[in-house]
Amino acid sequence: MPGRPDQDGDQQLRLLGDAWEKASQHWLDGTARRFGDGQWAPLHQESRSYLEALRELMDTLDAAERDTEG
Amino acid sequence: MTGIHADIDALKGLHEALVRYRHAQREVADRAAGRIRAARASLEEKASRWQAQLALCQAELGACQERAAQADPDDPVDCSGYARAAEQSGEQLERIRRWQQRIDAEASEFAGPAGRFLDLLDNDLPRVEQHVLALIASLEAARRVQAPAP
Repeated sequence: MPGRPDQDGDQQLRLLGDAWEKASQHWLDGTARRFGDGQWAPLHQESRSYLEALRELMDTLDAAERDTEG
Repeated sequence: MTGIHADIDALKGLHEALVRYRHAQREVADRAAGRIRAARASLEEKASRWQAQLALCQAELGACQERAAQADPDDPVDCSGYARAAEQSGEQLERIRRWQQRIDAEASEFAGPAGRFLDLLDNDLPRVEQHVLALIASLEAARRVQAPAP
């Protein structure tokens, strides 16, 4: 049974972060720095913003379900 | 392929991770939208159920009050149970309505970051993937590394 989508999304972002960490250990030139600042950082930030908003909304949906049972 | 090509291998790993991420997060976003739809439908169903329950309680209370109005003063009719049931049904319906309004408001707020994230998945991320592929090709060409056949 799948978990909450926000938690699965967090896990996916962690996996991508691991891949970036590994890549950045071997890729050290100026292109790598520009990629990190210009593409990786915005991608990571936008993902974090989405997942944070998703977590808050899923918390609300769960609370509504609990409060209106019966 | 290791050693001097470690950067190429690392970039290939990053490219694969980016592709997996795009597909996985698209599925996450689809599931999130499904959860929102399901929660709204569930609340609407509960609201309908409690609306019907409230109408029934009010009808029973009205009938009781009519009997009470015609009852012998020495043998009064007690309608407090019906009144309590109608009040509780009304409170439950009101609670559900408040949650519906809150979820509508929060889902509306969520639409902003969700839309930007979907745009990232559909437009920005494929461009990042292409950029990484171009970097890999450039590094391979510079070192005369033969790229594997697709």
